Amino acid sequence: MSNDAATAVPAADGPRPEEQPPTHGIGASLPAADARAKAEGTFPYAADLWAEGLLWAALLRSPHAHARIVSVDTSAAAALPGVRAVVTAADVPGDAAYGRKVADRPVFASGLVRHHGEAIAAVAADHPDTARLAAAAIHVEYEPLEPVTDPEQAFSAEPLHPDGNLIRHIPLSYGDPEVTGEVVVEGLYRIGRQDPAPIGAEAGLAVPRPDGGVEIYTASTDPHTDRNLAAACYGLEPERVKIVVTGVPGATGDREDPGFQIPLGLLALRTGCPVKLAATREESFLGHAHRHPTLLRYRHHADAEGRLVKVEAQILLDAGAYADDSSESLAAAVAFACGPYVVPHAFIEGWAVRTNNPPSGHVRGEGAMQVCAAYEGQMDKLAARLAMDPAELRLRNVLATGDILPTGQTVTCPAPVAELLRAVRDFPLPALPKDGPEEDWLLPGGPEGAGEPGAVRRGVGYALGMVHMLGAEGADEVSTATVRVHDGVATVLCAAVETGQGFTTLARQIVQEVLGVEEVHVAPVDTDQPPAGPAAHGRHTWVSGGAVERAAKMVRTQLLQPLAHQFGMSTELLQIADGKITSYDGVLSTTVMEALDGKELWATAQCRPHPTEPLDGAGQGDAFVGLAFCAVRAVVDVDIEIGSVRVVEMAVAQDVGRVLNPAQLATRIEAGVTQGVGAALTENLRTARGLVRRPDLTGYALPTALDAPDIRIVKLVEERDVVAPFGAKAASAVPVVTSPAAVAAAVRAATGRPVNRLPIRPQAAVAAPARS
Amino acid sequence: MTTHAPRATQSVTLPATLDAAVAALTAMPAAVPVAGGTDLMAAVNRGQLRPAGLVGLGRVNEIRGWQYQDGHALLGAGLTHARMGRPDFAALIPALAAAARAAGPPQIRNAGTLGGNIVTGAPTGDALPVLAALEADLVVAGPGGTRELPVSHLLTGRELLGPAELVGFVRVPLLHAPQVFLKATGRTGPGRATASVAVVLDPARRGVRCAVGAIAPMPLRPLDAEHWIASLIDWDGDRGLAPEALTAFGEYVAAACVPDPPGDEQLPPAVLHLRRTVAALARRALGRALS
Repeated sequence: MSNDAATAVPAADGPRPEEQPPTHGIGASLPAADARAKAEGTFPYAADLWAEGLLWAALLRSPHAHARIVSVDTSAAAALPGVRAVVTAADVPGDAAYGRKVADRPVFASGLVRHHGEAIAAVAADHPDTARLAAAAIHVEYEPLEPVTDPEQAFSAEPLHPDGNLIRHIPLSYGDPEVTGEVVVEGLYRIGRQDPAPIGAEAGLAVPRPDGGVEIYTASTDPHTDRNLAAACYGLEPERVKIVVTGVPGATGDREDPGFQIPLGLLALRTGCPVKLAATREESFLGHAHRHPTLLRYRHHADAEGRLVKVEAQILLDAGAYADDSSESLAAAVAFACGPYVVPHAFIEGWAVRTNNPPSGHVRGEGAMQVCAAYEGQMDKLAARLAMDPAELRLRNVLATGDILPTGQTVTCPAPVAELLRAVRDFPLPALPKDGPEEDWLLPGGPEGAGEPGAVRRGVGYALGMVHMLGAEGADEVSTATVRVHDGVATVLCAAVETGQGFTTLARQIVQEVLGVEEVHVAPVDTDQPPAGPAAHGRHTWVSGGAVERAAKMVRTQLLQPLAHQFGMSTELLQIADGKITSYDGVLSTTVMEALDGKELWATAQCRPHPTEPLDGAGQGDAFVGLAFCAVRAVVDVDIEIGSVRVVEMAVAQDVGRVLNPAQLATRIEAGVTQGVGAALTENLRTARGLVRRPDLTGYALPTALDAPDIRIVKLVEERDVVAPFGAKAASAVPVVTSPAAVAAAVRAATGRPVNRLPIRPQAAVAAPARS
Repeated sequence: MTTHAPRATQSVTLPATLDAAVAALTAMPAAVPVAGGTDLMAAVNRGQLRPAGLVGLGRVNEIRGWQYQDGHALLGAGLTHARMGRPDFAALIPALAAAARAAGPPQIRNAGTLGGNIVTGAPTGDALPVLAALEADLVVAGPGGTRELPVSHLLTGRELLGPAELVGFVRVPLLHAPQVFLKATGRTGPGRATASVAVVLDPARRGVRCAVGAIAPMPLRPLDAEHWIASLIDWDGDRGLAPEALTAFGEYVAAACVPDPPGDEQLPPAVLHLRRTVAALARRALGRALS
């Protein structure tokens, strides 16, 4: 339209009529691009993939928690009509074992079975039923062994693994061990086994490549690591294995355990055919990693005014049979064992040990969630002992910027803990049901339950939690992103997996903000792109978001340079908004399309935050890049005769640095709180002598809409973290960490019982009725 | 070569009458009858069951409603939980309506049927303690005509359904008196019962009948507790009971259904809690029935 690009239209960019919420760019509640497809059921997940002539895979899993494998006879299975390949440990061409930190987990168990559900063999056949029948027809002779299921026994038990039973030991020592406080409280806490329970169970499709490699289509959250692990097991160069990330049906831990992908690709290489594997819910529960069940023993010393003097703790993580991410979980548990409180003297000893229980690994907030439940239990005990208000006691001890963690690391990021706690404390309490109409009451036990108003007690509890962001202890946290602009449309290429955390939406907003381009697409992820690291610890918001911003800024410079040159001003004096480029003085005004002039602009950039260091022999070191904090006030109703609990309301105040997408942030916090409520009340994968009992969603009760409380986001503290891109902190993990402790505190307040075990069992929430 | 089972060999019959359904089952003994399919199809999806044929009961209209028959209601086995949960049904048999409303999420209640609940006989079936407390009879249609049997005979395995036999109707007495069904679950949302209690009053026979569900493979009837509490109630008066009597009834029911272990052994904490839950449910249920 405008052939005079430099026509001055200064008024168009004057102060806006205010205060419309932005519709694009940073700060807008941009909806996810795939939301509609997901709601309509047309979004393709890995379980929906299909290839011509595909075979179906099935895994044979161990029915024992600990057994010696005497022999494996696959002849009957291989002879079944329709069976195309049967593979066992003997058929793994490369490394026999894999692992994220330590390669200690065999692809297929051969000599020993170390946990219930460990894979022993895999079958490919032309029908899923045939594959399952063939897997069942494999004859394995076991010699059952006594399982080690009590982590306390792991120290003295026979080694379950050549590496020994102790995966890591951190004896943190900070301050003076001789100091004692006037008041001492002790407690023993047990945290159960939460399962990530993704809504979509594991699924994948492996397609052999003509060059002898293989492509695996699956919902990996860390595609490059998974590719490297798989390639090593196949004895191939990493370039010949490609992982293509498909739609992720929910991830709060590591999606798609390699123990599932590696056999899949192996079968494809073996048969030369595409092979598909879709796990049943039971297999999903048996195969992937769970939250570490943890045993914690605490002793808190305080002075008469309630100020903490010393914390002593022993923390024992049950890692299951293999190391996985346990060493990092233990570091988080030990480092945050005192919580967001100032503690002058701390002596924390942590162990992660092997058992024959189901495997443990990364589930968001790992380590930090277990200790939060324990140290907050201690704070409640201390408040009761000193007859102080629990919120007031916490306020006397809260951490702030400039304080020192027990690891010796100074808190340099914003730490508005007191502000968060005051916000939830001062938020009005929800009304009691008696003030509303009786038919609207929702008592513990549900709408058709047995709840009796006379037996219901209400309790209010507080908890403060903290997590670290990004990988800790010297992990190289780097991400690479490419931004391309052509024809007024921008494309982002980055191997950061959209797991539901909202990265693709943030990437679109970042590019909109920097380049003023409305239409931004985020390309699908595969391992031909440069690595972006695992989708964990909020790293993609930070590191990949930072890489996208840098790449976009480089494109911006390329775009503006010719204009700036033409008008003799620097690019900083030009701004882009709504697809228009204007100069600071309004002399220049053109559109992005005009400036592009048919050119295609590309830029690639990396983001690598400042390095961290491992914890040393005394648990000291600057191990974390960033910290995020949260305060939760839980209000619960407890039927004190039956012990049923309903969480009425969760009030959350969170330290978010900066809100990049308000609607998305709210959903992340609500999801985290709900997962925390599940961990507090119902979610526990139970085992008996190492065998998983009821691996289904009836036995493992996830919160439903009726179980989810009203979630009030009371305050979002926006103090920008100067080292983080945009100053934003990741938001998903810290509500998961804090919510279970808050629910436990509220049940304590309602019942007067100690509540030292999560999830809270009904018998622990039963109380003698007060005379009234 | 392929092992794909050709789908066409699976026969699905959709009879319109109960007799036709019995005939279809007689003609193909390997076929499985299916009504709501909420349990059966889950087993098929898990690969635990591969029925050679299905006889769908969804079009048998005669078993989808109810009729009255000399002081009884003859309930069709195809009544869905959703239908039983509605107010008109609740006015008739309140405890069964309460159990139907408590049985799972709406999707399950829309499909799952009364007959399916009985035939599946899961310990956590919510309708089962109510039917046991009501002393309902089943009307079973088979190749040799119809026969009746008490619901408890089927649930305890004293009598079984023969080949090609179908539960057609459930005969329930209309007691015109309060009835209560209470259920304890592990969460606020829909869940399987950890314990459930049904209490029905029978003023004509001056009886209280109680059944406890979900804690044993079949509903339990604490007969001694029923007789004892019935003898305390002033049936011609206001039928009120002192709180102590309600508490004692609860304890009595709980001790009968969750017995003490032999010798000096203690009940494990979880079982002790189950007993306390049953006691609280029975006390609350009777209290609500008498209030």
